[in-house]
Formats: sequence, structure tokens, C-alpha cells
Amino acid sequence: MRNKLIQSENLCWLLDEHRPEVTVTPIIIKSSDKEKILLKDVNGRRRDGRNLEDIRPIFLKTGLISQANGSAYIELRQTKIACGVYGPRQTKVASFSGKGNLNCEIKFAPFSCLKRRQSYRDAQEKELSHLVFEALAPSIRLDLLPKSTIDVFISVLENDGTASCLAAAITCASVAVADAGIEMSDQVAACSASYIDGDIYMDSDLLEEQRETGSIVLSYMPSLNEVTHILQSGEVEISQTTQAIEQCTDACSKIYSVMNHSLLESVKDKMQ
Amino acid sequence: MPPTLISPSENDYILRGVDANIRADGRGRLDYRQVILETGLITQASGSARCRLGEGTDVLVGVKVELGAIELDGVEEDVAEIKAKRGRVICNVECSPIASQQFAGRGADDFNIELTQMLDRVLNGPQSGLDLEKLCIIPGQQCWIVYIDAIVLDYAGNLLDTIFMTTRAALYNTKVPKTIIQDIGDGEIVFDISDDVEGWERIEGWDKVPVAITLNKIGSRHIVDATPLEELTTEAKLLVTVNKNGKVCGLQKSGGGSIDPSLLNEMVQTGRSLGQSLIKSLDEMVRREENDINLKQSRRERVEKLGFFAAT
Repeated sequence: MRNKLIQSENLCWLLDEHRPEVTVTPIIIKSSDKEKILLKDVNGRRRDGRNLEDIRPIFLKTGLISQANGSAYIELRQTKIACGVYGPRQTKVASFSGKGNLNCEIKFAPFSCLKRRQSYRDAQEKELSHLVFEALAPSIRLDLLPKSTIDVFISVLENDGTASCLAAAITCASVAVADAGIEMSDQVAACSASYIDGDIYMDSDLLEEQRETGSIVLSYMPSLNEVTHILQSGEVEISQTTQAIEQCTDACSKIYSVMNHSLLESVKDKMQ
Repeated sequence: MPPTLISPSENDYILRGVDANIRADGRGRLDYRQVILETGLITQASGSARCRLGEGTDVLVGVKVELGAIELDGVEEDVAEIKAKRGRVICNVECSPIASQQFAGRGADDFNIELTQMLDRVLNGPQSGLDLEKLCIIPGQQCWIVYIDAIVLDYAGNLLDTIFMTTRAALYNTKVPKTIIQDIGDGEIVFDISDDVEGWERIEGWDKVPVAITLNKIGSRHIVDATPLEELTTEAKLLVTVNKNGKVCGLQKSGGGSIDPSLLNEMVQTGRSLGQSLIKSLDEMVRREENDINLKQSRRERVEKLGFFAAT
């Protein structure tokens, strides 16, 4: 049944059909060993067998949180994120606004990173929350929801690189908003990349991120061909930036097909 | 931030103006307002600068270089190794309530945090160009901490570009005292701070500090140096930070709208070329000012500053 649903060949490698049964504890590497690990071999393959421009396989499923209006769960190997959407509901503050409010909150679980995180929201979480808001806001028809608020809560269960985590969170939140049946102009797919020694590593993981000289996170609406958000840091040549933007938009289109697939699945499940 | 609403007719007026490459104040799409830049206004600070953009935006940046301990608590081993040899940069942006009613009380908090983060993201990292290792006094123990505090005194659009410009000039103006390190045996090291003001040095790498150009997408075109009303018409903003070598040191989109990828590339290119020419003119401005002061001092004439809020 499942195999029938996957129509195109190129979707197959992107879809992580079998969700890993167990969670493996990370291997702790001493700093002296870290230098020895090569990020890519002579054939240009990365540690997990990917090419530089490949992204990790994605597991994406909607409707796993029973109480939420919409929800989604995304997994890119070691990155695991859940998102719940509540609303639209009436804005609690009395002030009138002609457009709906979008409230995004991202929270790292205390055990999600190498170092234990505090349970209260820290500065980085606030910053990331704002970035998720900026990436999602252009896609949601907030003009149709005056006096209302949509709450998007994201919790990161496992973090394998902050930039890729942010990208996955945006993708996941967009699917969750769609799952809640909120009107959108398009879905937002997001992708990250690292600049390391003159190469662009798409969808980099934690170890690659630690050695990067710069990074980029791009959010993109493939059907409308519009970029909703971009964030780049580090000193980069302009030609590389242009190339990274192009590669990220391509990758976003691929992620988009996975997003559509999972939404279709959820509709089919509901109809049964 | 100040005006928060714009009428549809005003909106339309700006939109058509941008399309015809003529804006309300007579500028073209890619024209900057006049920049007035002055350094060394605050005697208590290690370095300071004030920048006024056109008739409105006024930012004052004070840099204070203070002694501090190198903090290595809870840092991973390999990061600690690098951190032990470095000084630090701490940024803070504050919108003074005198600039606008909206900056009063807690209203400005989110806005302040956002501006601080944008400045911090660029200046706290290798792309800032500052040589932080030169700011280390005793590895693992003492270093110089560079506090960059920006205050917004007046607001007439394009705040972030002005903050970056002023910060760059203030860093140029900053002098770090020389230290003389002595090993007194038993593994104890003491250091003296030289009181010879003439011998104090600039922070190395100040000239590599990037500037920011905010590009505002209005309709299907983009403009720079927007006024508050134009900012309200803006669908999406792109902040491009560039250093003098023409390398992109950061990109960030903000605002509610979205941008076409080809337009995005065009905006990055525009930001880069404008940023480079801006750096050139800013460098010339601060150098000319310094030469003027040196000349006047050698002639024993009085050096007069424009002072705060002054435009000409």
C-alpha cells in the first residue's frame, strides 16, 4: 500500500520510510581525535555517504499530537523535532489588530544538545523563535484572521547542528500549520548549508557545523518561487553566496515534495 | 518604528514614486542621504562616534575598553583553548525614549534586543575582522573587553545601517592602553597599564569591520536608506553586511513579505557594491577629520566639534 503511494523515483531516497527503532547515544569524541576525522573522502563523499549537495533523508508525519489543532514531527537522522499548532483563537490582549498574530516559540529539550540546556527560554531560543516567525509569516494568510492568534510551539528533542535544526523546525512548523487547516499561500520549506574550506556542505550536521567558516539558512516557497527568509553568517565570497542560494532553493523543492507527500498521507488516513 | 500606520493613498504614492525612480525627497532608488560623521565626542569613552543621516536618524556609539577576566567556565575543551587567548566584544543597542514615544518604557525592549542581536551576530565572530587575540593580556586570565554601546537619539528611518556606520567609526576612534607584562616568578604574572596616552594603539583590524546596507523591497523594486514612511510600505527587508574586500559577512531577511530568488541575488549584488563605496567614503571622512584635528593642534588652534544633534 505504502509503496504504491510513492510515485516518483527520486522521492524514494528522500523518504525515510523506516523510522529508527532505537535512539543511539552519541559517540563522544575527544578534541584531539576530532581533527583527524575527514569531512569528505577522496571521492567527495561525506562521512555518512552523502555527496556535498545531498540532504539527509527525511521522516515527516503529521497529526501525532492529539490535543493540537495541527501537528507534525520531523526527523533528519539525529535531528528530531516536534511541532504543535494551536488556534486560530481570539487574541487575549484587548488591542485591535486587522491582521492575525502569529506566535512562534521554539524550545530545546534540556537533553537535546551536547551541553544540558536550562528549562527556561534563553536568548538563543528567543532569537530562533523570531527567525521561525519571520520565515513563516509571509506564507500564512494572516490578513484573513483579524483579532486572532495562532500559536506555533516547536520542541527540539534532539539537536544535530543548530542551523539544520532551525531549517527543520521551519519545515516542520509549516506542515503543522497546514495540518491545522489554516489558510496559506504556499508551504515553506527550509534548508541549511555550511561553508567549509571553500566547499558548500548542504544540510550539515553538528560536526560539520563546528568546522564551518560560515552558514546559510534559506526558507523558500517553491510553488510561488519566493524566498521568505534568508540568514547568512560568516565571511563569504559573493559567487559562493549565489551558488548556495541556488542549491538551497533546489533542495527546498525536494523537501517540498516530501511535505506534500506527508500531508496527502494524513488526508488519506483521515478519510479511512 | 515611530509611525505605525500608513494610509492607502500614501502607500500608493510611495509605490509609484519608487517605480518611477524618484522618491518623495527627490532621491533615486539607490541614493543615500547625506552622512555626517564625527568621532571622539565623549571624553570618558575609549572611543566614540556620532552619525547623522540626512535630517533625522542620529546614532551615538561609545566604546569602552575595560579589563576583564577570561571566562572559561563550562566551555568545551577545544573551544576553551581558543577562547583563552582572546579578548571579547559585547554589543548593546538602546533606543532612547527621547527619540520616539514608542521607545518609552518596555515598548522598545523587543526592538532593542533585535537590533543588538543583529549587531552582535556580525561583530562577534571571525567576520568582524577585529583581531581579538591582540586584546588578550595574560592568556587564560586577563583580557580587554570591548563594550560597544549604541544609543539612538533620533529616528528617521534606516536605523541599522547608521548603527553599523557609527560603530565602525567609533572603533576607529578607540585606543587601547598598552600593557607591560612582568613575570615575577612562582608562575605569577603582573602587568602595568601604560599611562602614556600617545602610545595607545587602535584595535587591530578595525578597517575590516563590515558595514550594513538595508535593502527595502517595495513593489518589484528595491531601495536603500528608506525613510520611516517608506519603511511602512516595505514588503521585505534584506540586510547585507559587507567588508572592504567586498566579501559578504552576513545576510538577513526581515519584514513580512517574500522575495523572488533572482531579485534576492540582485539585491545582494547591489548591497555589496553600495557597501564597498560606503566604506570608502566613511574611511575618507574619518581620516579627513583626523587630519584636520592634527593640523589645527599643530597650529595651536582650538578644535571645535559639531556636537550632538548638530547638522552642519
